[in-house]
Amino acid sequence: MMQNNWNILVLIICLVIGAVVTWQEIRRVNKRLLSWRILAVIIASTALAGIAIPISFQKEISVDNQTEAVLVTDGFNPASLSAYKNLKRFTINPALKKRHPKLVLVDELANLYTDSGITRLHILGDGLSAYQLSQLHNLPVSFHPGQIKQGVTAVNWNTRIKNGDELKVQGTYKNTSANKIKLVLQGLGTSLDSVSIKPGETGTFELKNTPKISGKAIYRLLTISGKDTVDNGSIPFQVDSTAPLKVLMLTSSPDFESRFLKNWLSEKGYAVAVRSAISKDKFRTEFINTPAIPLENISGSVLDQFDLLIGDLSALKTFSPQNSAALHKAVTEKGFGVIIRADSAAGNSWLQSSFKTALSPRRDTLAYPILLQGNQQPLARITTGPLSIQFQDGMRPLVTNTLGHLLAATSLTGNGKLVYTLINNSFSWALAGNKGDYAKLWSALIRQAARKTPPEANWAIHTDIPSVSEPVDLLLQSEIAEIATAGSAALPPDQNPLLPFEYHYQYRPEKTGWQLVKAGNATNWWYVYGDEEWQSIRKLKKQADTRHYSLSLAGVNDVTKQIQKKATILVSKIYAYILLLLACTFLWAEAKTAGAATTSRKGQL
Amino acid sequence: MDKRGTVYRHIGQIRRFYICCRLVACLLYSLSAAVVLGALLLIFLNAWLTWTVAILFIVFICQLLYQKSWSTNEAGILNFLNQHYPELQESGNLLLKNPDELNLLERLQLSKVEENLINIPIRQKHFWKPVKQAGIVLAAALVVGALLATLVHLKPGLNLPGNEQAAVKAGKTVEKLLPQINAVKITITPPAYTRKVKRTQDKLTIEAEEGSAIAWEVSTNTPVKHVALLINNNRIINLKPIDNDKQTWKVQATINQAVFYQVSIGDKLSERCAIQIIHDLPPVIHIQAPQPYTYIDAGEAQQVNIRAGINDDYGIADAMIFATVAKGSGEAVKFKDYKLDAGLSFGSRLPHYDLQKLIKLPALNMEPGDELYFYIQATDTHQQQSRTDVYTVSIQDTAKLLSMDGIVTGTDQKPEFFRSERQIILDSERLLKEKDSITAVQFKNRSNDLATDQKLLRLRYGKFLGEESESDIGGDDNNAVSDLNNFGNADVIRDQYTDKHDNAEDAGFFDPAQKAQLKATLTEMWKAELQLRLYKPQYALAFEYKALRLLKDLQQKSRVYVAKTGYNPTPLKLEKRLSGDLSAIKSASIKQEIKPKEDELESLRRAAEVLSQLKADTPVNIQQQQILNPVNRQLSAKAARSPGSYLSALNALNSILSPNRKIKQSDIILVQKAIQKALHEVSKTPVAGQNSPDMGLSEQYFKNLNRSRQ
Repeated sequence: MMQNNWNILVLIICLVIGAVVTWQEIRRVNKRLLSWRILAVIIASTALAGIAIPISFQKEISVDNQTEAVLVTDGFNPASLSAYKNLKRFTINPALKKRHPKLVLVDELANLYTDSGITRLHILGDGLSAYQLSQLHNLPVSFHPGQIKQGVTAVNWNTRIKNGDELKVQGTYKNTSANKIKLVLQGLGTSLDSVSIKPGETGTFELKNTPKISGKAIYRLLTISGKDTVDNGSIPFQVDSTAPLKVLMLTSSPDFESRFLKNWLSEKGYAVAVRSAISKDKFRTEFINTPAIPLENISGSVLDQFDLLIGDLSALKTFSPQNSAALHKAVTEKGFGVIIRADSAAGNSWLQSSFKTALSPRRDTLAYPILLQGNQQPLARITTGPLSIQFQDGMRPLVTNTLGHLLAATSLTGNGKLVYTLINNSFSWALAGNKGDYAKLWSALIRQAARKTPPEANWAIHTDIPSVSEPVDLLLQSEIAEIATAGSAALPPDQNPLLPFEYHYQYRPEKTGWQLVKAGNATNWWYVYGDEEWQSIRKLKKQADTRHYSLSLAGVNDVTKQIQKKATILVSKIYAYILLLLACTFLWAEAKTAGAATTSRKGQL
Repeated sequence: MDKRGTVYRHIGQIRRFYICCRLVACLLYSLSAAVVLGALLLIFLNAWLTWTVAILFIVFICQLLYQKSWSTNEAGILNFLNQHYPELQESGNLLLKNPDELNLLERLQLSKVEENLINIPIRQKHFWKPVKQAGIVLAAALVVGALLATLVHLKPGLNLPGNEQAAVKAGKTVEKLLPQINAVKITITPPAYTRKVKRTQDKLTIEAEEGSAIAWEVSTNTPVKHVALLINNNRIINLKPIDNDKQTWKVQATINQAVFYQVSIGDKLSERCAIQIIHDLPPVIHIQAPQPYTYIDAGEAQQVNIRAGINDDYGIADAMIFATVAKGSGEAVKFKDYKLDAGLSFGSRLPHYDLQKLIKLPALNMEPGDELYFYIQATDTHQQQSRTDVYTVSIQDTAKLLSMDGIVTGTDQKPEFFRSERQIILDSERLLKEKDSITAVQFKNRSNDLATDQKLLRLRYGKFLGEESESDIGGDDNNAVSDLNNFGNADVIRDQYTDKHDNAEDAGFFDPAQKAQLKATLTEMWKAELQLRLYKPQYALAFEYKALRLLKDLQQKSRVYVAKTGYNPTPLKLEKRLSGDLSAIKSASIKQEIKPKEDELESLRRAAEVLSQLKADTPVNIQQQQILNPVNRQLSAKAARSPGSYLSALNALNSILSPNRKIKQSDIILVQKAIQKALHEVSKTPVAGQNSPDMGLSEQYFKNLNRSRQ
């Protein structure tokens, strides 16, 4: 509408100017070249209008004479522009426009698409984000990425940890500078861990710390070159408190191992029921933080009240056939977990069938440090006797000693898990005051075996580094679709067609920092990063996205070649300028010569 | 003539104006030079103000000397005016001529020009020009200087969170007093024993020796009703006014533990300040000699040289050696205590003394077989005592060593050479005793004989270690070689004429420790033999005794045995096992509730989250305050125990919590650091994993998988 008014306004003004000037020309006394002059005036006023109003025309084009354009993004090499001298150059970044005034600034990428003269786009620099690429509407692209010289090129950490768990920040750093780079994990104003990357090297790093706090926290990864902090990225994470478990312990005789385990678990507020045989069919039972129930007969209903059974093999073998069947059913169907403490009981029950033990060839009575799976730091020494578990298919090793003997392993049994352990004297650690290692060992075993908690709706953030500049993809895993709220916005769900329990939500964060998203009972805190954080990773991500986009459209390009299409082509304003200039020059020259003619005539007179 | 005077004055004014302009321009130029050079100095040398002033003067004076603008005279000015004002008709100079020398024409011209001269303005535009130029140069210099100066301050990374250490340090040194307080004078009088002089300071943060008397003198700018010190948030010390205006208040107190305190005037409290206490440590004693256990062998001088260094932070008052002599053995052991003087005078109470004392053991009535236990005890000027471990010196009991106890018992089956070392010792002693009654040649011969005995003994023991035996060398029994049957048998010849080192078959089956001791024995024997061959049996005796002692030890070691015992259990009746009637026995059942221990630091753990959400320049809201208040309590309890590490954080938290105050980022970091320091690590707790919501998809999958397997 605005454009229309403008056009009309310009036309009227030009008409008036044209009319007035023509009238002036006609009125002139010297009637030399009158028709030419009138023509020049008309041309000049039309050209004036042409400068103010964009003129376009429709044309059938074939792709043989396809037009290409260059889109310049951050991180491009100015020297590389010279290869595309004859092409139009666009940018969407005002800062780049400022530095390179020759570039044409476009507000929206969609404009490039609608100007259909462009059939192929060369993207220089770091490329576009997935969201920006979606605005190109499948315009074919060839991507010429810039180089990432310095910075964190990959990073990951556990964003949700439980009390007492370790925060592990792992990643790679590309250092092309001549200086040593020091990466420091900083939390609560204190440096917690650090690692250095040699000059000219791309090194992996792992920084570890056990946070002492609870709730949400933001640690930082500082990049220090010499004494200057050159970069600084947030590491947001949450420390959740743990929910106590219900544990049933069966022993064939009262022993230290179960006694210390019971004390340790009950100290933490866990519900523990212990049954230890003291004679034939006589048991001593103990109930801590749990109501007393008869434990003589371990039926299915008893097992339902617990998350985990810890028992020695002898005790488990004295089960009646009905009880054994109930246990089997609980494990395979209801996901109940059993930790079996091996002893000398021989036999071949279903509990031990998937774990074969072997006598080690030499009789070792020495203590060796033990290693938890996935943890390089060995725990304290422990004597384990000559037995070790033989590895076989379907088994996952949990604990080994430094000789490589397998001491504890787990195997899936239906829905549940069996954990088989040969360690029967970990209480010696507790006695020696080594509570840390004791907790680590038993936490690892119990975590494997314990019955998983029933499913709740949970959230995941699909965008790698959420920022305010781009919409964020939030994922809800839930049985029912619900409208989510984030900030003040209500977000509609978008169900995954393949996995019906996955719902995607799109949200544009308004500010950086912690954000809450909520759908029904499922709430989740997530973090929106500042624009200056993790720059190098963002660049890499953009490059990857753009590359992927350009490759995915590589085939499409060939198809469009055959198609003739109608294109709107803008007439360049330079023609209007030239016309105006020619017309005015003619008028000026004519006036001069006319003047000269009269004066010369005067002279003659 | 009068008119002429006016014209002269006018010209003089123009000249003065010209000189003024030149001077101002000069000053501006030198100022700009000073600004630029000063900024450069600031960058490179960091000391700029005095240098800048110096540069200013130097440049200014140089310019003055160069231009000599004061020397411009009226003639010059008039020349200038002639050039620029046509109405003077190039005759301005006439003014300077003596009027009597002027001819008629000149006089006429002068009177004509005089009018015009007076009308010429004093403030010539041309004179302004250099001033303007200098002004522009100065402006440019100021811009450049400012840019250079900001360059210095804008070193990269200064405002990033990694660099807050500097901010923290800066915050520590600045102490804010209450507005009512004019001045504070604190006098610390250390206790006399420290021999430190009384000192005064004007800062509230105090570092004092233990037991110091601290006197506060607070002077206020207005009369106040009440001044007190609030110590650790719970104890109050009231100050007393010492003048009638109630403007100077004083109190003295002795504080023996680290605390923090605030000065309260009326109902206002100052910032918390720490009192750090320097404790007097007990003296430290290092014994350099002798070794913790010293064994004086027979033949060695029976004396101990004790060397020790004693250190204290202020001074040592006394040091003693406490010795105990143990005589006899078994039930007949007797002890006697001695207090030995250190042999030093501690009158000057120096912080360091070197103790050196020679104890002659016979002076303490010690005999062979007796033992001396001693330790050193030192007392410092604060009557704190410390003592060393007990050191032992024992004299070898030769009588016991030579006794035949245990050797003559029936079980002993030692070969005769075990007695030989004893025999050599006895012979050596007899030789020494008879030395005066025999000739020198005889003495030497007997000494040599003893050496030969010693050598033979050594060779015999050497056999146990598989050493080569010398007896074979030069032996005449070449039977095997001379036997005709062995003619051409290389093995026999080689066997005869080669050394057979370290033949395993020759060596006894000793364990490594025993072998080592046997080797040590042989070494002692070597040494004894050497001394005997040098005809010095008195020196050989010490080595002989040592060898004998080592041999005795070996002998004892070989006697260890374990008696064999036997036990025959009564046979079990297997059919009766586990068949008892247990019906009357009830199962024991225990029920208890154990609540997990309350974590008193839980509030600190939670507070970290709130702190990270606090932003600079916005006040704390009520919910945040509720979480941060318990932290305040925790931190103040911590600060009471160790003000050095927690007081600054406590102050920072208080300034965060105080209403209507803007929060400083450095304060937040201080509190965060204190929290990280105060918290101990959380122990790991076992936890269950979680199933993901999948509408039973995985269950269906599992069921179908099971079905297909069946």
